[in-house]
Amino acid sequence: MSFDVDEDILQDFLIEAGEILELLSEQLVQLENDPDNRDLLNAIFRGFHTVKGGAGFLSLHALVDTCHGAENVFDTMRNGGRQLNPELMDVILQALDTINEQFAAVQAREEPVPASEELLQALTILSEPGDHMPGDGSASAEDATEETPTEEPEAEADESGKIDALSGEGGVDEITEDEFDALLDELHGGGKPAAKASEKKAPEKKEPAASGSGDEISDDEFEALLDELHGSKGAPKPAEKKEPPKKAEPKAKSGGGDDISDDEFEALLDELHGEGKFEADKQAAKPAAKSEAKPQEKPQAKPAAKPAASKPAEAPAAPAKKDAGKPTAPPAETTVRVDTRRLDEIMNMVGELVLVRNRLLLLNSSSEDEELNKAISNLDVVTGDLQGAVMQTRMQPIKKVFGRFPRVVRDLARSLKKEITLELYGEDTDLDKNLVEALADPLVHLVRNSVDHGIEMPDVREKVGKSRMGTVKLSASQEGDHILLSIDDDGAGMDAEKLKNIAIGKGILDADAAARMTDEEAYNLIFAAGFSTKAEISDISGRGVGMDVVKTKISQLNGSIRIDSELGRGTRLEIKVPLTLAILPTLMVRVGEQVFALPLAAVNEIINVDLELTNTVDGQLTMIVREKAIPMFYLSKWLNKKQDPNFDESEGHVVVVSLGTQQVGFVVDALIGQEEVVIKPLDRMLQGTPGMAGATITSDGGIALILDVPSLLKKYAKRYSRR
Amino acid sequence: MSEDNRSLKQKATAADGDDPVLQWVTFQLEQETYGINVMQVQEVLRHSEIAPVPGAPEYVLGIINLRGNVVTVIDTRIRFGLQPGEVSDNTRIVIIEADQQVIGIMVDSVAEVVYLRSSEIDSAPNIGTEESARFIQGVSNRDGELLILVDLNKLLTDEEWEEISQL
Repeated sequence: MSFDVDEDILQDFLIEAGEILELLSEQLVQLENDPDNRDLLNAIFRGFHTVKGGAGFLSLHALVDTCHGAENVFDTMRNGGRQLNPELMDVILQALDTINEQFAAVQAREEPVPASEELLQALTILSEPGDHMPGDGSASAEDATEETPTEEPEAEADESGKIDALSGEGGVDEITEDEFDALLDELHGGGKPAAKASEKKAPEKKEPAASGSGDEISDDEFEALLDELHGSKGAPKPAEKKEPPKKAEPKAKSGGGDDISDDEFEALLDELHGEGKFEADKQAAKPAAKSEAKPQEKPQAKPAAKPAASKPAEAPAAPAKKDAGKPTAPPAETTVRVDTRRLDEIMNMVGELVLVRNRLLLLNSSSEDEELNKAISNLDVVTGDLQGAVMQTRMQPIKKVFGRFPRVVRDLARSLKKEITLELYGEDTDLDKNLVEALADPLVHLVRNSVDHGIEMPDVREKVGKSRMGTVKLSASQEGDHILLSIDDDGAGMDAEKLKNIAIGKGILDADAAARMTDEEAYNLIFAAGFSTKAEISDISGRGVGMDVVKTKISQLNGSIRIDSELGRGTRLEIKVPLTLAILPTLMVRVGEQVFALPLAAVNEIINVDLELTNTVDGQLTMIVREKAIPMFYLSKWLNKKQDPNFDESEGHVVVVSLGTQQVGFVVDALIGQEEVVIKPLDRMLQGTPGMAGATITSDGGIALILDVPSLLKKYAKRYSRR
Repeated sequence: MSEDNRSLKQKATAADGDDPVLQWVTFQLEQETYGINVMQVQEVLRHSEIAPVPGAPEYVLGIINLRGNVVTVIDTRIRFGLQPGEVSDNTRIVIIEADQQVIGIMVDSVAEVVYLRSSEIDSAPNIGTEESARFIQGVSNRDGELLILVDLNKLLTDEEWEEISQL
């Protein structure tokens, strides 16, 4: 493809359209469950429309055609010309898939392949209304479209003429969503949402949500104002409290009637802003939600408000504000898009700073100088805050990952002929961007597993007295310094005995070991490579790869995964991951002359060596901890090059680490303490050195190697036992 | 490689402008003097504590903290097939940049920076052991002393990665 398009514009399009497409798949599934939700219908329509607009601008004709088809279908639907049914939904989802493929091609800077004829045909047929209802509330989009162009200039002229144009931001200036919101806020005090929707029910509903501090505009007032406006064609009187702005907009749109339906309003907005309106719509679609989120300026509200998009050009709003005489500074661009690499760099530098602070704290601990103490404790606090703030910039809501699940589950359920509802909780939980990305694949895998293996067929469910509809719950929450993700299903649960038998059959386990296994250990068998409970391999699951990959991936993130299951009642998978990957809490230990850091997540407990509690079993030193025998290793034998001839085996501490459900004791010479460290990767030359996860600078300026427990055991424990 | 030939050449090119002059940092290992291109040298450090890395290849001494960065230090002696030496007051760690990575090499001592014209550099005769011959870029004869010029990129590359991956 001749990508002579401006790379910047293309980038903007890719980012914006990418987000919209992601959202669309979510919304479509939502719509299927709630077919009468007009807001949703409109939002979807606008989603396709926005992508189409952007694609058209970049001359991506294949993409335009497909979007256009889908858009038309939704246009028909929102005009009441057609009812949603599963067949229609299938076509639409197919269209969305096609769009996604084409979009991926564009991302790869290739010419998108046009959609198949059948698909376009199907879309065209679907966009023919079954029975058109012209009088149906809102004017059709086409009407609106036609109206707008003519009306817009007029409106604007009025606006600027009367109001004496807004300074700085010219009439058509684009205002970001935030700004827009801010303006609205200002105008209506807390009552913004009311203003937003002129529908009757909306105000009622929303007012309570609004903070109520401002003057809320009653429906009637609002309408009256509109009337007035219409009558005099845009005489926004300053006297008119805060309304004028509001009104100004609707007026622009409202062509004929006094009542502007939501749809019309939005359609107009669309027209007016061409691109980027999407947000505005979204916002309009869920005013209540917005109004709640906004005041707090939650980080997640931000991402939604794509900084890129040249937001709703609420030109009228700006003037209006002036008008209203509120001197508040005109909101400037409030968001900036930053390359994540730059954030990583900042994070690194903050990491350095943390190290220096640690060092200072240590140096200072022996000092009596009060001034110095003060300065250093100040530094301590500021560094901590800075660290938190920088980390915050990298946080993203887990919604980004969760968002894809409704579609995944729907498709799976349909292809497996199961009936499943997916419930999402804690979508707003923030976590490190890298984590969000890294968790996506494992989570998809686990959810697919729950749907495929967990939930039974509807008939089977009925027989055992459950409702036909299975439920999969996906939730995220923050617990202290880590994030807890859980996937619950109310399916068949896991049968520990069956798992053991399969494992024995596959040679992963011998019968004796199986007999001693607890149920939880048995559940963990599913993480073994090559393990699958499915007799038949399907394209969904059953190859026996995957769960081990999931497990590996999660432990790479310094996370852990736990399974809880009850036969017949369902299964719960819990994943715990740290809030961030940049800083690792560790236990510093000394082995010989050297300091090593053990990731704290793996450490269970610390006990003193008591040789009376140790036994040698089959050549392996073991110790009894609370009636459980765990293997024990002297780390100095592995990690120190020169063995101390008078090494005293009876002295030291045992750090018990857990490895899945297994426990292992490491004997170390001394414990130094707990320290948060910044992981420094080893040079290329040393990368992949078994047992070493990286290095870090300790607070006294020395170097400590960070141990990677699983690979350490893999490398040394085997060799050891063979000797 | 006759001595006469060289000095003749040297005289002939002394005034010659298009014979580029290169600077070399020289260091000692055993009794030999080696040179490395000054452009690849970042800094020279006194010997400081090196944290050994268990499980690393033999010629890797360990890692050091270079102002917050972790830098790998290799034992040049082992790399060159020499006997391990004692750390003395003169021992230095030369931080070099080669093949897009920063690495420290430990040497017996660092002497000076010398200027050599390209014409003064000869290709390597068969000196040293097989092991070390791979890293030699050329030799130069100064005042009767042989200066061995090391190709740092080779010192750290290819075979080594394979070696590591086989571990």
